[in-house]
Amino acid sequence: MPMQISEQGFKNRVEQGIEDDFMRGAVRSAQERLQTNRAIAAEELGDWEDWRTLGQEIRSHTIEHLDYYLHLLSENVSKLGGHVFFAETAEEANQYIKDVAQKKNAKKIAKSKSMVTEEISMNQALEEIGCEVIETDLGEYILQIDDHDPPSHIVAPALHKNKSQIRDVFEEKLGYENTDKPEELALFAREKLRQEFLEADIGITGCNFAVAESGSIALVTNEGNARMVSALPKTQITVMGMERIVPGWEELDIVVSLLTRAAVGQKLTSYITALTGPKLEEEADGPEEFHLVIVDNGRSNILGTEFQEALHCIRCAACINVCPVYRHVGGHAYGSIYPGPIGAVLSPLLGGYDDYEELPYASSLCGACTEVCPVKIPLHEQLIMHRKNMAEEKRTLLAERLVMQSFGKAAESPALFNTATKMAPFLTAPLSKEGKISKGIGPLKNWTDSRDFPEPNRERFRDWFDKRERRKSKNA
Amino acid sequence: MKVSLFITCLGDVFNADTGVHTVELLERLGCEIDFPRAQTCCGQPAFNSGYHKEAAEAAKHMIEAFEHAEYVVGISGSCVYMVHEYEGLFEEGSEWQIRARALKEKTYELTEFIVDVLGIEDVGAEYNGVATYHTSCHMTRLLGVKEAPFKLLRNVKGLQLIDLPNRSDCCGFGGTFAVKMNDISEQMVDEKVNHIKETEADTLIGADGSCLMNIGGRLSRREVPVKVMHIAEILNARGE
Amino acid sequence: MPKGEIYNRDSFLANIRVKVGGISPEIPVEKPNWSVSPQRNVLRGASQDELVQLLSDQCTQIHTDFFITTVDDLPSKLIEVFGFYEAESIVYSDDSRFSDYGIEQYLIEKKAFKWDNESREKSIEQSEKADIGITFSDITLAESGTVVLLNNPGQGRSVSLLPEKYIAIIPKSSIVKRMTQATDIINQQVKNNETIASSVNFITGPSNSADIEMNLVVGVHGPVRAAYIVIEDR
Repeated sequence: MPMQISEQGFKNRVEQGIEDDFMRGAVRSAQERLQTNRAIAAEELGDWEDWRTLGQEIRSHTIEHLDYYLHLLSENVSKLGGHVFFAETAEEANQYIKDVAQKKNAKKIAKSKSMVTEEISMNQALEEIGCEVIETDLGEYILQIDDHDPPSHIVAPALHKNKSQIRDVFEEKLGYENTDKPEELALFAREKLRQEFLEADIGITGCNFAVAESGSIALVTNEGNARMVSALPKTQITVMGMERIVPGWEELDIVVSLLTRAAVGQKLTSYITALTGPKLEEEADGPEEFHLVIVDNGRSNILGTEFQEALHCIRCAACINVCPVYRHVGGHAYGSIYPGPIGAVLSPLLGGYDDYEELPYASSLCGACTEVCPVKIPLHEQLIMHRKNMAEEKRTLLAERLVMQSFGKAAESPALFNTATKMAPFLTAPLSKEGKISKGIGPLKNWTDSRDFPEPNRERFRDWFDKRERRKSKNA
Repeated sequence: MKVSLFITCLGDVFNADTGVHTVELLERLGCEIDFPRAQTCCGQPAFNSGYHKEAAEAAKHMIEAFEHAEYVVGISGSCVYMVHEYEGLFEEGSEWQIRARALKEKTYELTEFIVDVLGIEDVGAEYNGVATYHTSCHMTRLLGVKEAPFKLLRNVKGLQLIDLPNRSDCCGFGGTFAVKMNDISEQMVDEKVNHIKETEADTLIGADGSCLMNIGGRLSRREVPVKVMHIAEILNARGE
Repeated sequence: MPKGEIYNRDSFLANIRVKVGGISPEIPVEKPNWSVSPQRNVLRGASQDELVQLLSDQCTQIHTDFFITTVDDLPSKLIEVFGFYEAESIVYSDDSRFSDYGIEQYLIEKKAFKWDNESREKSIEQSEKADIGITFSDITLAESGTVVLLNNPGQGRSVSLLPEKYIAIIPKSSIVKRMTQATDIINQQVKNNETIASSVNFITGPSNSADIEMNLVVGVHGPVRAAYIVIEDR
């Protein structure tokens, strides 16, 4: 699945989201639970702001010296006998992964959750050469079984589906016969997937964080699928976005602690696995061969720009979990595998304004995202920067540009401002009824489609104040 | 103490009453009110839409208009925060940036000014009603004024204040967002109205006219009988 | 192990270097002194007994059965837990601590399978079939209720993963405050150029998932149940 998940226009996607009552109910309750858990996990530390500061410092130092740390990482992985492939594009990454699969004569590939492999459409590439790729994260598995329904959340990909929908999918595609109890559904998937883990020729994982100083790869999960994928198949491929790296173990402690608390409110998730190279000769299980694929795919274009901080993201989804826009439209409305505030920042950077120009405007700039980000990415400010770029590239409507220009002029010219504000009640008078405007025209129409608009004051504040001053001086 | 009132464009044109209440309130608290006539709009709509050149022009104008002031007090947390953004619009170390910073340092949101500068938490107000308070996003998250309005409201005689559920949720205004993304904005303001209804309050109080215009507009459209009042009006009320 | 290959590195990193204003990979980058270190304040001054209590409390959060016993009573406690878990088949890691703590003989009596690093297929197959997998904890994190396995060849990645139930035996002295103390140990090994475990596993209770309607389901791919047995030191 590529980054772009829909052919439809933004307006249609939003409309579909708003009309999907089940999805909205599911998202609302998930958000409430995740928000509460996150807040408890942050507060119980007592000094969450210090943790955030440290997280920010670590991420910003690492990205500022990304060339150095990636070099160090690759040296260390290679020293341990692992292979490292630097892929500038999705095609290069997929070609390398396909080559490995063909060399290994692989039929079956078990995969743990990874956003970057979605972004580069890796599954599709492997399927083209006849490999069967099995998603093993429960959420991803459900989506894969359901004819590749796209993920709607970066941590909980199947958030938009309810249990009876899942039951029906299992029944139709896999002959499942039990109830829609989550326990029974999960047990069924466990049994199905256990066999796949054992049979897989290759295991593919994403990478939460690579540790440069030791050449390690840290995987953070609750289900244990990433452990399966890295313990059982004889060949392991790990695909990482090039920014997912920390200098050493001291820093790994911090980013993992921030991630698990911010993402799900857990002190640590059930499994955090740090893999360092292929298995040792004397070890029985673990991969005999290890490949690390480091993916750029547009990320380096973000370096050195005002958006560099977007690369600090640790993919916790805390911003998604507090976003009111996401709550009402759901993940699919964003049209990208990266939804929510971070998606609205990242998708246009990786995919361009042509495909994602609406996303930076899909925010009321309430700042809830910025407030919860565990590494202090100024998300809402980055959305404004996108708007600035698009305004400068004249992608915005001419009408809007004219309004903003005249507005700039009026704001800098009191005389013009004075006339304009004085005229307001007269201009809107034909629309007013009982002291309010219920049916506006032009841009006001969008407002009055949902809400009444107040009638401008006949006497502006400044008129009242002037009158009062005059009265005062007369009395004096 | 001399206070220069930053009325904001919405306040000037749509909510003149709020300005009147603010003047009366601050005078009662011992301030002398000055109203710089040259003030226009703070430039936030342009800034948030990405038109930073235009926003910088508006900023320059505001900087000049308030340069003489001792204290600048604004009746909208969001517009006051915009003044905080000014310095970022100018070149590092430039003359304009220095002037912008000077303006920022003397500019306060109304409740913040009363509590932190005047050191007053009980303004002697009396308002008989059951109210809930909407915390505006920019005022709380960006400007960082969280407690001041509550400190003041807790001391208003006769006022019963009920917690608004999910109070940190945005009301869906967001400036041009409300027009550009009206369908999403409508869902947000509807959710806010539902939460307000849950409180069974008869009055909604806020410290930001733009949020109140948004929520008030939806309350009115849905014919929900809740009175919408700016906090200045409550603090100026004397129980009549 | 021969060195692995590195492909496309030079052009890839050169592009990044230009953008971040880097100089050369040969010149070491000094890590700054971070301005704060909140991780060092967590549970500052807590005694070992307080950490045990915390671990026990945390176990209720992570759906893990908690037991505490002495070295002398360990065999009977273990047998009790086996009964509790209705264990028929057992797999355990090849670890001298089993005999040091005097429990290996009971495991042999139970016909338990000891991980055999000579045989990948057999060891995986036995682990897959086992009701219970048992390992010792190398480092135990009180804050999160986590056992850390610094997998050496005898330990087997699968022992703590494939069986339906997992038992971690936790020497009281292995309990530290949080992840910080564990990463400190590993960090020191890295600084000393020692080989670190090829697989370091931080295990916090049984596996779980909340992917279906955010309902927590305990037991997905890894163990369905987990028990920690803390042993008071001799």
